[in-house]
Amino acid sequence: MINFTFDGKAYEAQEGDTLAAALLRNGIGLVGRSFKYHRPRGIMTAGVEEPNALVTVGEGGRAEPNTRATDVFVYEGLVAKSQNRWPSLSFDMGAVLGLAAPIFSAGFYYKTFFGSAKRWMFYEYFIRKAAGLGDAPTETDPDRFSQRAAFCDVLVVGAGPAGLSAALEAAEAGKRVILVEQDSILGASLIRDPQEQDEAWIDATAEKICAAGGRILTRTTASGYWEHDLVTLTQRIAEPGQVPPNGVAQRLWHVRAGEVILATGSIERPMAFANNDAPGVMLSQAVRTYARRFGVVPGKRIAIATNNDDAYKTAEALRDAGAEIVVILDARPTSAGADSGFHVHNGVPLSVTGAKHGLKSVSALVNGETKSWNVDLLAVSGGFTPVVHLHMQAGGTLDWNEEAQAFVPAISRQKVKTIGGAANPEPIFTVAPVSNPKKSFVDFQNDVTLADVDLAWAEGYRSVEHLKRYTTLGMATDQGKLSNMAALGRLSEKQGVAVPEAGLTTFRPPYTPVTMGLLAGAGARDAGAPTRRLALFDIHQAESPIWQPLGYWFRPRAYPKGRETLAQAALREAQAVRTTVGMTDVSTLAKFEVSGPDAAAFLEIICATTVNKLAVGRGRYTFMLREDGFVFDDGTVWRLAEHRYLLTSSTGGADRMATHLSYVRNYLCPHLRVSVVNVQEHYAGIAVAGPKASAVLQAMIGEYPPRHMSTVPAAIGVTPVIVLAASYSGERAFELYVEASHAATVWAACEAEVMARNGSLYGLEAMEFLRIEKGHLVVGGEIDGRLTPHDLALDKMLNKAGGYIGASGLSRSALSEPGRKQLVGLEALEGTIPEGSMLIRLEGEAPQGHVTAAAFRIIEGGSIALGQLVDGFARHGEELIATSPTRNQRARVRVVHPHFYDEAGERYRD
Amino acid sequence: MMQISCPHCGPRAQNEFVYERTIDSVVALDAAPEEAMKTLFTRNNPRGVDEEIWRHTYGCRAWMVITRHRVTNEISAVRAVGPEALP
Amino acid sequence: MTELTITALPAAPIHVFEIWSNAADVAQRFEAASGFALPAIGRSSGTNALTLIRYEPTVWLVEGDVSGLSEVLGEDGALTAIGGGIVRVLLKGQGWRTLLMEGGVFDAESPNFSIGCSAATTIDHVNVRLHVLSETSCLAYVPLSYSAGLIHFWEEAARDL
Repeated sequence: MINFTFDGKAYEAQEGDTLAAALLRNGIGLVGRSFKYHRPRGIMTAGVEEPNALVTVGEGGRAEPNTRATDVFVYEGLVAKSQNRWPSLSFDMGAVLGLAAPIFSAGFYYKTFFGSAKRWMFYEYFIRKAAGLGDAPTETDPDRFSQRAAFCDVLVVGAGPAGLSAALEAAEAGKRVILVEQDSILGASLIRDPQEQDEAWIDATAEKICAAGGRILTRTTASGYWEHDLVTLTQRIAEPGQVPPNGVAQRLWHVRAGEVILATGSIERPMAFANNDAPGVMLSQAVRTYARRFGVVPGKRIAIATNNDDAYKTAEALRDAGAEIVVILDARPTSAGADSGFHVHNGVPLSVTGAKHGLKSVSALVNGETKSWNVDLLAVSGGFTPVVHLHMQAGGTLDWNEEAQAFVPAISRQKVKTIGGAANPEPIFTVAPVSNPKKSFVDFQNDVTLADVDLAWAEGYRSVEHLKRYTTLGMATDQGKLSNMAALGRLSEKQGVAVPEAGLTTFRPPYTPVTMGLLAGAGARDAGAPTRRLALFDIHQAESPIWQPLGYWFRPRAYPKGRETLAQAALREAQAVRTTVGMTDVSTLAKFEVSGPDAAAFLEIICATTVNKLAVGRGRYTFMLREDGFVFDDGTVWRLAEHRYLLTSSTGGADRMATHLSYVRNYLCPHLRVSVVNVQEHYAGIAVAGPKASAVLQAMIGEYPPRHMSTVPAAIGVTPVIVLAASYSGERAFELYVEASHAATVWAACEAEVMARNGSLYGLEAMEFLRIEKGHLVVGGEIDGRLTPHDLALDKMLNKAGGYIGASGLSRSALSEPGRKQLVGLEALEGTIPEGSMLIRLEGEAPQGHVTAAAFRIIEGGSIALGQLVDGFARHGEELIATSPTRNQRARVRVVHPHFYDEAGERYRD
Repeated sequence: MMQISCPHCGPRAQNEFVYERTIDSVVALDAAPEEAMKTLFTRNNPRGVDEEIWRHTYGCRAWMVITRHRVTNEISAVRAVGPEALP
Repeated sequence: MTELTITALPAAPIHVFEIWSNAADVAQRFEAASGFALPAIGRSSGTNALTLIRYEPTVWLVEGDVSGLSEVLGEDGALTAIGGGIVRVLLKGQGWRTLLMEGGVFDAESPNFSIGCSAATTIDHVNVRLHVLSETSCLAYVPLSYSAGLIHFWEEAARDL
């Protein structure tokens, strides 16, 4: 016995029960309330197609709303709750709405709320409360979700007789085989209709498949068929709401298959008659499954309505289980069931009347007369819909099978084939419904009736796609698995055409609902992407910095002391750089070693500045253009040796630059004798800046450090370093590049010298202050991909010989005409310049530019900024307003030269 | 997710590859300005087969030209491009 | 649960060995100097002192003592150090193939991916290079900045293979 609760009440289930089986075992027929009308609903099916019995399973972060009671296996302690009812399932206020059902007819939302948005705002609150499914959990899911790849020669979906045989054949032929089954046990139709020896055959077949190296996954649904025979499988390791044994609740498999065999079987169709949604109306095969597999007979006096032979097996199963078969209504005009031994009438059901947990009676039209029987259960079989979802997702087409009145798989451009019942559905005989269309449900989950389909038709919705969207038919968790064919039948009737001509909506993944956590996988716990850690992470962490995300990286933004705020810490750090010395981690910069006799020639293609005149041991600032002539990145280039250069560029553009370099080198210039190696992570970088930077360096490397824009190889102790004399801060500064595995020693040595001179560590915020004051550019700020070298006042550095990428694009006259935005400095006359604000002349006028970065003068104080301004070079001295309406901040500013500090560049040198 | 047969590594998942551009939008280094801009901005966009440049960025890092049907994703040819390499 | 250990190995010298011209000549010079041939793509070869793994058409990853390789390359290629940016992670135990399928897209379970084989791929969005050492061990070359995260990912995944 397994204990579980439903709506707070304790019940017992048998081992292997689905929740639906357990509820029926306990005599519970009323399980939920319908979406729009709050009609009482029970269990209709025994499979994933269940439209009615949706429950919330589990508690807290593990709660899973809208779980089909037919698709969860009971475990000890399972907690299930019904949905869409208030205050309780049996007394639901919302059911009052059911009395006014006509107002919720097709297109209700469109009609009622057309026009005034205010009206919608008013109604929305009530509608959201009344109409809907389960509530999404508000707590974090504590479980892990795994995503795993698999490869096989043959993937078999469905472990019924056809699937098992196909998997065995492939496995014994030496192929890599994966067999998946959404149920917890193998067999599918063999479980429902067991013949002698079936169980032994299933076990033996499974054993042989595994022995031949095949993999069998149960509780695993092939939910998506994608390009090039990639099939996604969702595997339940733990049941919904259950605590998983190893922390992993579900696994998403990405299976690349050489061939896919679909043995997905078919889904039984309901019939349309009045109140066909009542608890106590169930699908025939489902009733048989409950009787034979679970030993639960959900009624004592049972009627069966069918249009095919299969339902007679249900009658036999129920009779064998001791129930009374009151009547069989067979839609077929022939005397199909005459010698079955049951009371068979030629007819179709008109309506049922029900009690809370089951039926009272069923009525039918028999020989032109209405007849009625007292029954507590009606098992219906309206035919069979092959499960063609995956075939269609694979891009396959469908054929119409007239005998079965069903679509079956035809051809596909992918390597997929369908076998078994899904390819050969049972013949049926359909009769157009004669019941009251307003009470005859087509789509149970969305409360769509025959009358709604008729109304959509009357209002001019001709296409099946429009019908779907207007009525919401075929939407929500069951995606029309039961309703599509009934709706199509009605539509084709209206159109006066055959069903296949009425069309069919497209099936898209997933086949059954997939929880969001599974799709997120490991990414559910962080930013959804892995983060990158600095080589010196531990050293920084020991200082408790404020971390700043920068692309995938995290870098120290500032190192606050005591109770310092970010701004206070950053200002102190920046002041240290201006007055003594500071050091910072610049390891994330993009770095490429470019070697070979053609290295300079290659760099002259990449860089818009000259490179080939650079002497060994010298470096220079450089920038790169896109083919259209706009600046997309900048950095420095250093000649380390005769045929060896180091190119640095922005952190954020590192991957883009790596691709760009590779494209130029391999696609455009395959003949060049050059090797371009990404050494971004090989070297950790430490920048030392300030009036005492030279002294720090000298103490470390034991010689006077190189002059500005020069480089020397050196050693700190036994550790080799590359010393680059380059400045981003505006002070005399150096960058030390050291193999990342030795970075900690060099950092420690450097920190000792810096601290000995009253220096400081500094983070990104101080670096930003320093570079803004100096008027240095940043990629993503001033270099935003929309400015040319002219706009950024870099044109004097352009390689006059041309030949670099972007030279052609830049030669277009429009790129140097007046009216373009240009780089300017801004200083506040009044107020603080808001970050990202717009530049206007007068209140109400259109913006003429914007602020790209705002800061303060580090020593003197005062708000300054860099910005882009239309014709900015010619407007120095003009007064503007920098305004940020969204923050309600503004400042009066004066346009100035973008160098606020040491314009002559004297502080680089000592 | 497509599967692309890398000329060097064999069939691999599309995740390992990065799309660059179609071959008709390759701007030659010595292209005259007008021609270069035409190549860059006036391009074909066929509903059907096109030749695309991809890179096996997270695999062998090599470049290739893929002949792909843009509706069905059928890949009818893949050829390696780039510097000459040992077999 | 499958027995599996995940160990970050100490930093080691790793270089890029790239040929840009006269590849056949370089290959001859290499074999003459080192006593074994340059491996084909997706393969490795070497000795205890020197292993070359070919992940790219013109690039070999070299682990070990590179003295002499510059002479082999001459004017036909270059040697560049990259070891600082790579963490070698040893996956030891029967379950390494299954582990590599977690968050992966490459068929590490294929019997063709055997001793001496190499492949570059992505695992949990991280670009890694794999080298099969034996049926029970595989070495992964992981970018330093991603290594802490990926090792954590592997340790968690290894608990439930």
